[in-house]
Amino acid sequence: MTRAPSSFGSSSDDESLIAALRLASGHDPVPDEVTATARAAFGLRLPGAATARPLAVPAPSGIRSTGRARLLRFGADGLTVDLDVDSSGGLVDLAGRVCPPPGAGARAEVRTPCLTESRELSPTGQFAVVGLPPGWFSVVCHRPGHPPVATSWTRIRPE
Amino acid sequence: MVDQHTIEAVLAGDQDAWDVVVKHFGPLVWSVVRAHGLSAADASDVVQGTWLRLVESLPGIRDPERISSWLCTTARREAALLLRRTRGEQLTAEPVEPADPVGAGHSADPVLAVLTADEGRRLWRAVESMDEPCRSLFRLMAAAPDAGVHQLAGRLGMPTGSYGPTRRRCLDRLRSLLVPQEAAS
Repeated sequence: MTRAPSSFGSSSDDESLIAALRLASGHDPVPDEVTATARAAFGLRLPGAATARPLAVPAPSGIRSTGRARLLRFGADGLTVDLDVDSSGGLVDLAGRVCPPPGAGARAEVRTPCLTESRELSPTGQFAVVGLPPGWFSVVCHRPGHPPVATSWTRIRPE
Repeated sequence: MVDQHTIEAVLAGDQDAWDVVVKHFGPLVWSVVRAHGLSAADASDVVQGTWLRLVESLPGIRDPERISSWLCTTARREAALLLRRTRGEQLTAEPVEPADPVGAGHSADPVLAVLTADEGRRLWRAVESMDEPCRSLFRLMAAAPDAGVHQLAGRLGMPTGSYGPTRRRCLDRLRSLLVPQEAAS
């Protein structure tokens, strides 16, 4: 494996040089539980799925965001997934809509590293899941006859 | 060692191969995130997300040579996002990401270089050749990753307000020590 000769060059930022010093010193080993969650991440792989990437959401005109409800939009394969994220009591509520509505037999699966909740989509493509733990989540849309579409992993922390 | 066979095995669903990837790059990801001054809990959160994103993105990366820079870029971006949030900046939507952080010219990244033991030793040899307070500052910074600025400054016998500027000067000095050797190579 060859390395570029300018590895420690002036273009490197402070954090990266600090990370390099720490990594080379071996004084800050990865905690076991961090390694365990990294290993467990593999259990959430979804072979053949299309990843829906974040899209810009037009800001609602004339309304100043209160910071509570957040609208996230993801898109892939001609499908848009809109998610309203709200939190109460330290838990996260998701209300989602898949556009265009995929029709009968479609499901939305809300996945977190520790649990998965499955919902049948309404005829208008809507679903809701309440009381999720804060942290990383991904929504997978399953449609009969199509590969699944999964929103890229996103972190939600309660306000 | 993570090579093409490892990646193919991961893509075929082999958990053992994935564990090899985690073992090889885990310390790199952890160091990058921790260097942003995140607490252990926040760092764990960012690291978890970085691996989840690798699971999702690996089919598009495949090249073992690109995984380290991809991990660095992703971990750094997530750490910076979380830092901005903990500093109280209101973020309404987090997942704005570049289309593909891979191959964006990260050959100049020191943390990638020290994945090889030789480069790690060279880095610390340079530190050991430095005058005070830089030598002690770096030793302490590495040995006490959870120490706050106040504590570090106290141990170094300097006012808290001097720690940041001193660290910056020392980092600049360290970089200048490392560059001439490279110019000759």
